[in-house]
Formats: sequence, C-alpha cells, structure tokens
Amino acid sequence: MTTAPLNPVPFLAPPELERPTDGREVDPSLGLLQGEGAAQRVRTPEPHPGRLVPHVEADARALTYYGLPVLQQPVWIWTIPTYLFVGGMAGAASALGAASLVAGGPTLERLENRCRALGLAGDLAGSVLLIADLGRPERFLNMLRVFRPTSPMSMGSWILALSGAANTAGFLLGSRSGPLGAVGRMGIAAGGGLGALLAGYTGVLLANTAVPLWQAARRELPVLFVGSGMASAGAVLELFSDSGASRKLTHWYGSAGKAVALGAMLAMQRSAPGAPRITEPLRTGATGLLWRAGLVLTAAGLVASGLGNRSRARERLAAGLTLAGALATRFAVFHAGKRSARDPRATFEGQRAGMGAAELSRPPDPKPAVFKLPVMR
Amino acid sequence: MAENHPVGFQWVMEARERGATLIHVDPRFTRTSAMADIHVPIRPGTDIAWLGGLIRHVLEKEAYFKEYVVAFTNAPVIVREDFRDTEDLDGIFSGWHLEDGKYHVDSWQYEGAGTIPAAGHKHLPADAGAGADEQDKRPATLQERDETLQHPRCVFQILKRHFSRYTPEMVEQICGVPRSLFEKVAETLIRNTGRERTAAFCYAVGWTHHSVGVQYIRTAAILQLLLGNIGRPGGGIIALRGHTSIQGSTDIPTLFNILPGYLPMPTTKHGSTLARYMKGNRSPTGWWSEFPKYVVSLLKAWFGDAATKDNDYLWEHLPRLTGDHSHMTTVSDMADGKVPGYLVMGENPAVGSPNAGLQRKGLRNAKWVVVRDLAMIETAEFWKNAPEVQAGEIRPEDIQTEVFLFPAAAHTEKEGTFTNTQRLLQWREKAVDPPGNARSELHFVFHLGRRLIERARRSGKQRDLLLRALVWDYPTRGQIQEPSAEAVLTEINGYTWPDRKPVPGYAELKDDGSTACGCWIYSGCFSGGVNQTARRKPGREQSWVAPEWGWAWPANRRTLYNRASADLQGNPWSERKRLVWWDAAKRRWTGEDVPDIIADRDPSYRARPGVEGLASIGGNTAFLMQSDGLGWLYAPTGLIDGPLPTHYEPLESVVKNALYGQQCNPARLEYRRRDNRYHAAYDDPAYPFVLTTFRLTEHHTAGGMSRWLWWLSELQPEMFVEISPELARLRGITHGGWVTVSTARGAIEARALVTARVRPLQIRGKTVHTIGLPWHWGTVGRTTGGTANELLALVADPNVSIMESKALTAHIQPGRHDLRRHPSLLAPTPSSLEPGDPRRDLPQVGTKRPMPSQEP
Amino acid sequence: MAAAKGFFTDTSLCIGCKACEVACKQWNQLPADGLHFSGNSYDNTGHLGASTWRHVAFVEQTLPEALGTVEPQGAGNGSSFGMRWLMESDVCKHCQRAGCLEACPTGAIVRTEFDSVYVQPDVCNGCGYCVVACPFGVIDRRDDDGRAWKCTLCYDRLADGLTPACAKHCPTESIQFGDVEELRIRAERRLDQLQARGVEGARLYGQDARNQPGTGGLNAFFLLLDRPEVYNLPPDPVVPTAKGRESWTFAGIAAAGMFLTAMAGALLARGRSLR
Repeated sequence: MTTAPLNPVPFLAPPELERPTDGREVDPSLGLLQGEGAAQRVRTPEPHPGRLVPHVEADARALTYYGLPVLQQPVWIWTIPTYLFVGGMAGAASALGAASLVAGGPTLERLENRCRALGLAGDLAGSVLLIADLGRPERFLNMLRVFRPTSPMSMGSWILALSGAANTAGFLLGSRSGPLGAVGRMGIAAGGGLGALLAGYTGVLLANTAVPLWQAARRELPVLFVGSGMASAGAVLELFSDSGASRKLTHWYGSAGKAVALGAMLAMQRSAPGAPRITEPLRTGATGLLWRAGLVLTAAGLVASGLGNRSRARERLAAGLTLAGALATRFAVFHAGKRSARDPRATFEGQRAGMGAAELSRPPDPKPAVFKLPVMR
Repeated sequence: MAENHPVGFQWVMEARERGATLIHVDPRFTRTSAMADIHVPIRPGTDIAWLGGLIRHVLEKEAYFKEYVVAFTNAPVIVREDFRDTEDLDGIFSGWHLEDGKYHVDSWQYEGAGTIPAAGHKHLPADAGAGADEQDKRPATLQERDETLQHPRCVFQILKRHFSRYTPEMVEQICGVPRSLFEKVAETLIRNTGRERTAAFCYAVGWTHHSVGVQYIRTAAILQLLLGNIGRPGGGIIALRGHTSIQGSTDIPTLFNILPGYLPMPTTKHGSTLARYMKGNRSPTGWWSEFPKYVVSLLKAWFGDAATKDNDYLWEHLPRLTGDHSHMTTVSDMADGKVPGYLVMGENPAVGSPNAGLQRKGLRNAKWVVVRDLAMIETAEFWKNAPEVQAGEIRPEDIQTEVFLFPAAAHTEKEGTFTNTQRLLQWREKAVDPPGNARSELHFVFHLGRRLIERARRSGKQRDLLLRALVWDYPTRGQIQEPSAEAVLTEINGYTWPDRKPVPGYAELKDDGSTACGCWIYSGCFSGGVNQTARRKPGREQSWVAPEWGWAWPANRRTLYNRASADLQGNPWSERKRLVWWDAAKRRWTGEDVPDIIADRDPSYRARPGVEGLASIGGNTAFLMQSDGLGWLYAPTGLIDGPLPTHYEPLESVVKNALYGQQCNPARLEYRRRDNRYHAAYDDPAYPFVLTTFRLTEHHTAGGMSRWLWWLSELQPEMFVEISPELARLRGITHGGWVTVSTARGAIEARALVTARVRPLQIRGKTVHTIGLPWHWGTVGRTTGGTANELLALVADPNVSIMESKALTAHIQPGRHDLRRHPSLLAPTPSSLEPGDPRRDLPQVGTKRPMPSQEP
Repeated sequence: MAAAKGFFTDTSLCIGCKACEVACKQWNQLPADGLHFSGNSYDNTGHLGASTWRHVAFVEQTLPEALGTVEPQGAGNGSSFGMRWLMESDVCKHCQRAGCLEACPTGAIVRTEFDSVYVQPDVCNGCGYCVVACPFGVIDRRDDDGRAWKCTLCYDRLADGLTPACAKHCPTESIQFGDVEELRIRAERRLDQLQARGVEGARLYGQDARNQPGTGGLNAFFLLLDRPEVYNLPPDPVVPTAKGRESWTFAGIAAAGMFLTAMAGALLARGRSLR
C-alpha cells in the first residue's frame, strides 16, 4: 500500500546541481544551522575563486610551500590608501591651524580658518572612507567598544573620533567670542594635537602588522606619513593662500614635509638590508613604478616650489605635483605591502635574517595582554 | 591502507609505534608508504613472482617454521603420480584439455583421490577429479603422507620445485624490485617468524583484481603458512574489503554462485535431488561434514512448514545455475539484448564496473532498469548524461529502456548490521526516518516480496510454488511499515522450528528440519535472544581481544585457525604469542579468543582410520573446515587454474613472461567482442604503458556517495592521473595540464599530476612506465570527470570472476579528448569471436576459450 | 579559569586523510570553498581561511632534497628511490600573544576561559585588521559575509566538555587535544622518542615561549619533521605588537616634529608680518 510522501525533500539529482547552494550540505527542513560557521553569509556557491594561487614552478632552491603565500593578503580596498592621504592631510592641516591660532596672530587668521575647515572635512571624509571599507559597515560604532592601546586601529579610531569632535567644536565655535568661543578654540588646539597623531598613527597602523614590508619599515612609515601629510596640507593650502605671511608659512610647512617624506622614503628602501626580498616591491613591477612616481613627483614638487621666482602658476604646479606624489606614495605603500604579504619568501627570508622575534631587545611579556580598562558598550 | 581504511590504519600505526616494521608493496608511493619503514615499488601484476620469490627464499634458507609446517599444513601429503607441474610443462599444469579450453583436474588430486574443497564446490561442480562424483570421497584419515617431507611427490617437495626459479634475480627481472631491497624484505620477514614473532599481511583489491587474483591470495597463504603466521596473534592475512559491509554482502550473498554462508549454489549439473547435491559437496571428514545441517536449516528458514523431509525441503524447486551468471557475463548478454531486466541496488556499474561503455550499452538494451540509490547516479542517468549521449552519438529518444528510480535511505535512516573486513557484525540503530519516499533495502525487498507472493497465491502456477512457500512474516512498524531488522537477524541467527527459540550457534543446527537458520556462519549473533551485534563495551574495559564489542562470525571467534597458535601438545608456541591453549585440568581448550577447535578435543586425539564426521577432527586440527584439517600449501581441488600459484602476466602486459612460455593464466575468462577489444599480449605499439587504478581517501568507490558532497568534492575536485616526471617528459605532458588516456575500449581526459611518487621501473633493460588512475569520477555530481572504467576490458579470474583492473596497458597523450567515436558503439555480434593473441598461450593450450555464458 | 586547552599536532602520525578538515566543516557547518584543482600534491585546499579552519598540507620530497642527512620515513634504505611525504594538519595556533586579538579594535576577538582565541561574529565589523596582524596567515575576512572568521577551538564543544571535532575524528591521534601543560610534556617525550629512532629532522614548533619567543608559545603547537617553511609556517614569527613601541616612538617624534615645525613656522611668519 502506498502512502503519501512525507514532507517531500528534494532528491540529489542534476537539477539540484543548478540550484544555488551555500555548500553546507545541511537541509534546513531537516537540520538546524547552529554551528559556529553557520552564520557565515554565502552569496555565491564558489567563493574565493581567485584566492588559491595555481601551481607555479617555484624556484627550486627557494624554500616555500609551492610558492603559496604564508600570510593572508590585506583585505582593504582603495578607500584605505585614499584615507591615508586624506587623514594625513587633514591631521597636518589641523596641526598647522592650531599652531597658527596659538602662535600666529591675526595675519594667519584666514589660514587658520581654512585649516579648520580642511581638518574637519578631512575627518569626515576619512570616516566615510574607513566605514566604506568595513565588511559590516553598519557596525562602525563597534570601533569605539574598546580602548585597546596595543591596537593602532583602536587608538586611531579614538583619535579620529575625538579629532572629529574637537574639529567640529572648533569649526563651529572657534570664531565666536565668550565661553563658547573658548571651547571652540580649545577644540582647535586639541584638534591640532590630535591631528599630529592622526597624521602619524596610520604609519604605526601599517607597521603593526605581519606584512613584511610594513613591519620592516616600522620606523620610516610614521615619519613618511607625517611628512607626506605636511606636504599635502601645505600643497592644498597653497592652492588657496593669498597673504604673504600665510604663503610663507605654508611654503615652509610643505617643504619641510616634502623633505622629511623624501628622506623617509629613501630610508625605507634600505629598511631590510638582510633580506632584500622584503623591499623588492619598491624596486620592481607596477608597485615599484608607483613608488618611484611618488618619489619623483614629491621631489619635483619640492624643487618646483623651491626655485627662486615663485609665481602663482609655479606654486600651483608644485602643489599639484606634491599632491600627486603624496597620493602615489600612499598607493605605492599599500600595494607594495600587499605584494610583500603575498610573497612567502619575504616573510621566510626576513625572519631567517633575524627580522622576526630575533630582533626584539627582550622577549615579549609571556602573559597574554589583558585590558583592565572598561569596555564601552 | 592508510588511504582506504584510515580508521583501521590507526591500529597499524599503533603497532608501528610499538616496534613493528611496516613494509608497503605498491606500484605507487602512497600515503601508506609515507608511514611505512620500507616501500617496495613493484610492477603492477607481478606480485605472485614477488611472493613466490619470498617463498623460495624461505624454503632455501630453511627459515620456515618447521614444527608448524609439519603439524598444520599438507606439506607431508603425497600427490598423485600423474601430476605435472609448471616446471615440467613450461607454465601449465597437467590436465589441460585443448578442445574444452580448460583444465581437467584429476591429476592434481592427492594420491588416492577424492578430496573436496572447503565449503564445497563453487565452480567445479562435476568436473572430473573435482571430487564431486558419485563415489564417496576418501576420508582424509587415509591420506598418504611422508612426515620427513622428503618424498619426491610430497607437497613440500613439489612446492620447492615449483618455486625453484623464483630467484632474487628473477624477481628483479620480473617485478623491477632491486635485489638488495628484496633481500632486505626477506630478511625482515624471516626475523619476524617463529615462536616469538609473527607478521601480518594486509591486502585489498591490488591483489585481487587480476586474472590470477585468487592465486595471488594463495601465494600469500602459502608464505604465511610456511612462516607459521596463520592463526596466531599479529599474524594472518587480512583482506581489507572495498566498503563498509561488502564482507556482509558475500556472507549473505549478492554473489550469484553461493548461498548464504558460502554454501554452493545448486547448478543444473548437480543433479536434481538434495541427496546428490549433498553427496557431491559434502566432505566425510572435517567440520564440513556438518554441511547437510546448514543446507536443511537454510531451506527451513526460507520455507518453514512447507519444507519437509518428504519433499526434500523443496530443494528440487530451487532455481539452478545454468552456467556463468556473473556480472560480466550477464551484462554482456544484456548488451546483446538477452537480459530484459536489471535491478541495481547500491551500485553504480556505469562508473564502477569494467568497460563502462559496455555497461551502458547493456543498460540501453535492457527493457527495464530499476536503480535504488541516494542520488541520481550515472547508472540512472545513462540515457541522459552518458559520454556517448553528450557527444551526440546516441540520442535519448532512441533508447527504449524504462528506468525506475527508487530513492534509498541513508545508513543513518535505517537499522541493521554492517559486517566489515574483520568479519565483525556491528548493529546500527536508526537515527531518523528516511525523508520523503526514500526507503531502506529491507523495506524494498520485503514489500516487493510481499507483492510477488500475493500474485503467486493468486496465480496458482507451479513455477510460483517456492514463492507461495516462502516464510515472509517479518513484523513491520510505523506508518511506512518498515520491517524489523532484528527479526531478520534473529532468523539469520537461527532458531528451533516451529517455536522459534534462538539457537546459541551452528553446532546446535540439525538436518532433520527442527532448526532453521538463515546463514550458518552468523549463527550465534542473536544467541540467548540478545542482539550480540549491538554490544559496545569499550575496549579499555576488556581484554586485548575485546570480544564484547559487536560479534564476529563464526561464533565470535576473532582470529580464525587459532588452534595453530599452540603446538601439538596444546601449549602456546611462546608466552609472548599465546592466544588459545589446552587446559589439561579442565580438559578444555581455553584462551583469550574463542578456540577454533572442538572445545573438549584433547590435543593428543587422533581419529582412527576411516572415521567420519566430527570424530574425524583430531586434536591437532587447525583448519577444521578443510576435509583433511590441514592448511593447504597445495590445493588438490577447488581451483580452476592450478593447485599452485604461478606467475602469469596480465592479459595486457608490456613484457614477455620471463619464467614460462605460457604468458597468461590459461584458464582466464575472456569476453571476445568487438566492443571489448583486447590489446596485444605484450609490446603493443599503440599501448606501450602500464595502467593501474587506485582509490583516494577523499572519495568513495563510484562516487555516488562522495561526489555529491561539497566537503568531499573540494578535497579532490578533479579527475587526474598520476605519472612520473620521466613519462611526462617523454610524452610532452605538463603538470596540471590536460591529458587523454586511451585504450581500445575508450578514452578519457583528466588532469596530469606529475609526481615522483610514481617511478619508471627497469624490466630486463626496458623502461616500463606506469599510469595511475583514480576511478571515482563520472558524469553527474558536484565534481565530474572521466571514468577510469571506460578504459578497462572485461577479463576475469576464472575462479571468482573478479575483474582485472590493476594491470593493463594504455596510451597517454597531452591534450583534451575528442568524445566522439566511442568504441562501445561498435556493433557487437556476440558470435563473432575476435581471435585471441596467440602469444598469450602455448600451442598446446591453444587460443580457443569458452565464452562465458549463462547457458552451457 | 579552567586549565589552558590546546592541540598538539604530531605530524609524524598524520596519514593525510583530511578527516579533520571535513569534521571541522561539518561540525561548524562551514560552507564549501569551491572546486579548485591545485596540482600541489594532494592539497587542493591551499591555506586556512574564513571557511577553512583545518587544512592538511602535503609535501613530497625526494632525497637528498629532504635535509640531506635526515633518516627518511617511508623510504627504505635500499629502496630503488628515496621518498618522503610529509603531511600536516594546520590550524589556528591560539597564540599566547595573539596578533589578531591585540589588533582587534572592536573587542570582537577575546580570550576564552580555555585560553583559546575566539572571534565573536556578532561584534566583528570586518575592519580586516586582524587579517594582516596574524603572523601565520590564519584568520581571514569573508567577502560575502564581511566578518572575520577562524577556528574557535570548538568553543561550543568545550563548553559541554567535549573534544574538538578535528581531534575527535583524527584516526591516528595525530591531533591530540588536552591541557596545554600536559601536551607539552607529551610532546617533549615524543620528540625524544623520534630522535632516538634517528628521525633527525624532527622538531617542536611553538610549544613554549622559549621555542617561539615572538608569540609567547602556541596553545596549538606542532611536531614537525622538517623546517617550518616546508609546511608554510614562518620560522620566527612575532606578534606585531611586540614591535609597536618602536613604531609609536617614531610616530610621536614625527608628530612632535610636525607641531614644532608648525609652531616655528607660525612664529616666524608672525614675526615677519609684524615687521
């Protein structure tokens, strides 16, 4: 006697193969999805098609695992190097603005106003860029759940948040009189201090990773980003400035930045003498091209703004070159880092040359780092 | 073993950690080799030469376990005077009959004739000399023996002579194994022989899938008997089977030529009465003298009250074999339109059986096909997805076969036992109900049977008599009326009739119709009405034998032939290797395991000459299923292709047989058809490379259970071939690129995995390359790919019809495959016998070969 | 707090069956990673990732490539060719000093009561910083999903006193689970045993802070039969934070420099304008 089919279940047949599946082998009508990985959202049945590097005839003498990367490649998108540029510029502008306010006097008032605006705009734009990179952008406020000194990203999130708050106060209230104005001016001052950190912390952010190039250049990167930030701020301001005093200041500020940036870049090229493979992305390929472009453009910007007769046109040209150079540098650092992360030999040879834990002056504290500070919810 | 029995392999690893030496013999360096101490790369198809070389070495160095050999093997028994060995006849034994194209086996018998093989005849029902004649067989107690092993016609001397030319040099020339490696292995084996040490052999289809497959196992058995390893702890030969319960499937058979418990199937040659059947298959001596009890109990289980002494328990009405009804023969006949129906349950012949193209041709020419499986396997989809359909050579609308698909329940959705490789029955509970219309095999067969019985009752026809007589009253449960597996298991265990009280074991079965038993070797699995197979006492709470986990047949005996672990006085050969022994105080055999001897048989007991039945079993009998109770170094009966294993080349080889003029097994089963073309015996210019097949851990058999799962498919996502860097260079193949492998049966494409784990071998100055193919892939599933079985031909071992899948020849070239012009599409005409390659056989053997068929 | 739990993966016992990979995926209900034939021996998985938390590596070595002086496992002295096939089940190391944990700005990555490192998927916002902070390349962000994922040491199983899925399924007990202290003792004993047998390349990887100062020791450590690079493991990994002080110092100096430059410039400019 036949019975009616009980809850008909799709049979394993070729039509099944065409249905999109999450590759989990769990039939939701029969099983509960409660595993730790069950919450992973799967849109395509074949995720990560490009992540596996196909078999390559690795150099027979090089000791790698089929030439496959040992590290995970940074998952960040183009908004991150853009943020590096924007944040650096904004932080340097805030610092300049605060210095102008504190030490500059009324001639620099317009400059200071522009710095204020630039700083705030940079903070806002930077936040948008960072949020766009998040895997779950709607959860951006979780960045402020903890204050974790070991993590430059946690510190940076706080720096950016506080800097934004300070710059907002400064922008809105800084020109007023009375107690509100005082609050505003304190905001500008604070924003300036934070801005200086904002410009440099991104270097620490990159350096505090396992990416061989960034880790090797952990001293040079903050300096590079600070200098490059100063150069970018100076360049943007130069596009607008009019009064002689502010022009001199921005010129001084920008040139100092360019010089420091160039120095840092040259130093960075030499940051891994024992393992040249680490800095190879700066020398070869598309990333090498981008890096050299950054160098050349920044140097050209320095030269162009430095030579005697400073016409407006020349200033604008120099500013343009500088900005292009700064942007190119950020992207070069970003992509060169990704490339060095993909290269297993960079990690292996670097560590064999003593650039791993051997470099530490003393072994790190074996106790896991514990954060006694309250967690903000 | 690590690849295909990873869970069982943990015990091998444990042994290794305790100091055992692991030797792995395989053409490829596999994951097992990675764990082994010694890996022996060997040319596929040459293991008889390899093992034979070890036998010769052991005999020559007198390194065999002498007391054991004299006590427990037929080494001293004298063979008939007219026996001629392969040494005399350049590779064949005496008795080859040119016209019949097979052996007449009289001359192989013991002096005095009439010995019957263990468990009766399977393939030699009435052949002269097989012992199946009308006369009573000569009891073993009247054998002629020479205890000094010097008589020129005693088995021991025949054995020595037979293997005398299997020298280390010869092994190197045939197998490609360097002499130093051979000597190292031989030395290791000999060191682990004797009272204090034992060695175990584990094998799987790498040994059985040859046209001399059974003889491979025989060679191992001879070696292990000489070394005194059979029946001893850490010794023996372990057959690693191909999937979870395939042991069970031969115990409760899905094989055409045996009844449950390895009883011989009636054939038209047996004669029409039960008495003649029993006479022809019974042995007067040894435990097999009990055989009539098992047959009668089986018939009683099937037919209950309808089977009585008066009607010979309905034996006359049982269907008989008319010839070879093996898989290959049946499918060939199906391809010729002679077999209308096909029930395929839990198997996927379109991928898993040799000559996949011919398998599908069979499916196309059947009238109806029923497939029961978890997924829409290739056998169910042959009319839609087969390579020839995809290539446009066959159109689905031209196929007349009616295909029925029955979804099957998974193993978690039904209860029952698995019987695995070590003869262990383990009960499985049902976890969930099967979804939708999926049903278990038990449900399907039970309800199919029920309906057929109803029809039979209505028809009243004579031919439906047996159906009407069937006892088919298993209780059913639940809405879907699932029959009780425990009821079936109880019937298999056996009970008294008609009150159905479970019997404690096969010793309690009777031949007078008062007991019923579905499978005598399983008797005891439900003793006391308790499901012994469901026991799960953890190993750490038991002795090292762990008898209370599941239940092993027979009688929960974990190591067969364990009488041989004690000497003739009943004392273990050593304390270190004690297993069972004679307790003189209690006058009983006892020990760690269930003794494989009549429990109260004094070791000194010897049967008087002429005594029959159980009384003929001496206290020194270790192999009590044999008529003479001895381990057979030489098999006087029971095998079609020789009493001793002989090195023959595979049907398709790359070199001549270095030992004999007779190239291949003269008794091999060939299917000469245009859609089953064979290559040349050797030096075939079109197919110069050796092809072997293998399995991966990540996939399972024909892929029906693994290629539908993402998690397994992603581990081995594509069909590939393993070749050596040398072969890749020779053929211009790049690693990871596409290659096409071809034979006269078909061609497939696959990715190339170029690896140093496969190495070319030097065989008499010739470089022999091997191509390794996993055989898991087909045309449906998450991962699809070329089917290795497209390339294989139907050719079989004559004793058990096992296919030759491990050694054949093929060609390989870079590039993808042109799917058109599939060889299986060639018109067959079964009567057009392709002429065989005469180089395979001596002139006195001839090229005429009987075509296996279902009618004589 | 309960005793620290972890894995000791003894690669000398690994038969490459990948039961660990499948058990992990099944228990955690992870999606598949797609069908990619790599040609890299039997390793078609490639690397750990967001949806692969156990990965078996395969390395075929023909002697004398394999260290040259090592007593090979699986190669007979006197076999016609010498071969070795190394197999290793890779997993998140649950470092004592965990790069991912110290980098996580949201506090999604925490240390559990079993001393394991766990990512809370309801907190993670996918910033991807942990991905670059792991010196072993373990944790990854899944594009479809946006969050970072890695081995949880079967936190849900541990809570009920069960063994993690991979260790439970490993047929040869290559993956051993237990208290890290006890596993360490076992590992050292095993190393001695192998060295006594002449397996020269055998070494421990990350069993304590002395062996691997950069991470303070791993709660999931290994016994390897060759150099770490052979298995795609870094030879001298270090938690990036350990070098953080240096970096922050230079950032501070640069920031101070920026401010001073700005101040100096402002003062000079004011001075000039006053003149």
